[in-house]
Amino acid sequence: MAGFLKNRFHRFAGKTTILLLLSVVFFFAPLEASGQRRFSKTYPATRNVRLTLTNRSGTVTVEGWNRPEVQVQAYLENPAAAINPQIVDGTILINIVRDNYGRGDIGSVNFTIRVPFDAAVDIETKVGNLNVSSVRGSLVRAKISSDGDITLTNISAPMVSAENGIGNIFFDGDIQSGGIYRFTSMSGDINLRVPFNSSFKLIATAPSTRRINLGSFSGGNMRFLGDGRRVTGQVGDGSSYLTVTNQRGSIAFIRR
Amino acid sequence: MNCTECQENISPYLDGELDEIGSANMRTHLSVCAGCAKLCEDFSVILESCRGNVSSEIIPPNSQALWCRINNLIESEIKPEVVEEPKKTLLSRGWNLTFSQAGAAFLAIALISSLLTVVGIRNYFEPSGEDFTSRSSASQTTFEKFLSRVGLTDTPQQAREKRVKEQQAAIDYWNKRVQQRRGQWDAKIRDAFDRNLNLIDESVSEYTIILQENPDDDLTGEMLDTVLNDKMDLLREFSDL
Repeated sequence: MAGFLKNRFHRFAGKTTILLLLSVVFFFAPLEASGQRRFSKTYPATRNVRLTLTNRSGTVTVEGWNRPEVQVQAYLENPAAAINPQIVDGTILINIVRDNYGRGDIGSVNFTIRVPFDAAVDIETKVGNLNVSSVRGSLVRAKISSDGDITLTNISAPMVSAENGIGNIFFDGDIQSGGIYRFTSMSGDINLRVPFNSSFKLIATAPSTRRINLGSFSGGNMRFLGDGRRVTGQVGDGSSYLTVTNQRGSIAFIRR
Repeated sequence: MNCTECQENISPYLDGELDEIGSANMRTHLSVCAGCAKLCEDFSVILESCRGNVSSEIIPPNSQALWCRINNLIESEIKPEVVEEPKKTLLSRGWNLTFSQAGAAFLAIALISSLLTVVGIRNYFEPSGEDFTSRSSASQTTFEKFLSRVGLTDTPQQAREKRVKEQQAAIDYWNKRVQQRRGQWDAKIRDAFDRNLNLIDESVSEYTIILQENPDDDLTGEMLDTVLNDKMDLLREFSDL
């Protein structure tokens, strides 16, 4: 009986080892096969830390978490691309454009960054998507110089700015009293999901499509100007400013 | 960063003298404050036009010697002070006005002050947050109409044309920079840039046509201003790749 059990145990241990080895191989295989390089580093964060990231091409995802540290993970399409994050006065600076200035094909760099909930987030890229979620610091700014979608979810910040060329913008968050909120796109859809009891002064402009859907915020205080190309008005006591401009796309408000 | 700090730092920011954090703070403030963004942009246009004119300035070969010569000439031409008899002033001559002249003067003063009061009140009750360059004659205050009629200020159309010309000059500058760099871009970056530039150009054409048909369309004037700024930003941001 003991021999049988010993034999089974050895077989089981052997299988487990093989499985573990295979999982390790499969985990690293895609990166090696495609020639990607992975960068990962964790930085201690001070209170109200600020993340400033300038990317060239690729997707950037920033998530808030309940830890006093910033974790930066990057997947570099071209292993030769340089990435040199710096910490200056409590600000974490990552600038792929500057780090690779004058270099031709550096490929995309895809980031996944975790920051404390109260962090200020200032990210921009030339091409690619930007996603920010669960952040309630003093600022959230996301800018795409050309193509890409911006998705801001579960945001609670007094200053929010999202700007892109061709692509959609989605904002799901609070409108704080005294806050400034600005959403600008050349083409695409801008969808704003905000609480029903929000209070703001609104200037929404969609000159080409005239598609401005105020949802549950439409009412007596709203005025359509310029043959429906612009809507201005006040919701609640108008304690914050909300400016939305979409040159060739639509604007829609969704009740949260 | 508040507006005062931002405006103090605009010059070093444009000259690239700010550190990374300073630049980031400036970018952040400029992205949320339309007033400072416009100021920065105006300043940038002025700087660009100044840079363009440097080569055309005539610099004397020895400016110090030239200044010495000018100084000597001025000193040699200063005459000794001559004590002159005090001239008769208007008051000392006395007011020799007839009754009708005095009445006409009084009426003229009353009329001018009433006009100024009316203009002032109208101007006060028609405040506008709009940019003067993107406004039509329909939304001008009486005072502004009066000033533009007598030629003291530009009409909204003239102001808009001037601004478009300035923006176009900046766009040409950044476009040259982009043309020098774009050979090094990969296909993905190049396609995205071209796609966005074409879209902006389409909007510029559309707004220009609308404004030709209806020069008083405030909103289109404002949108044209915005897309030209967008074009300038796109070119500037891709010029550092």
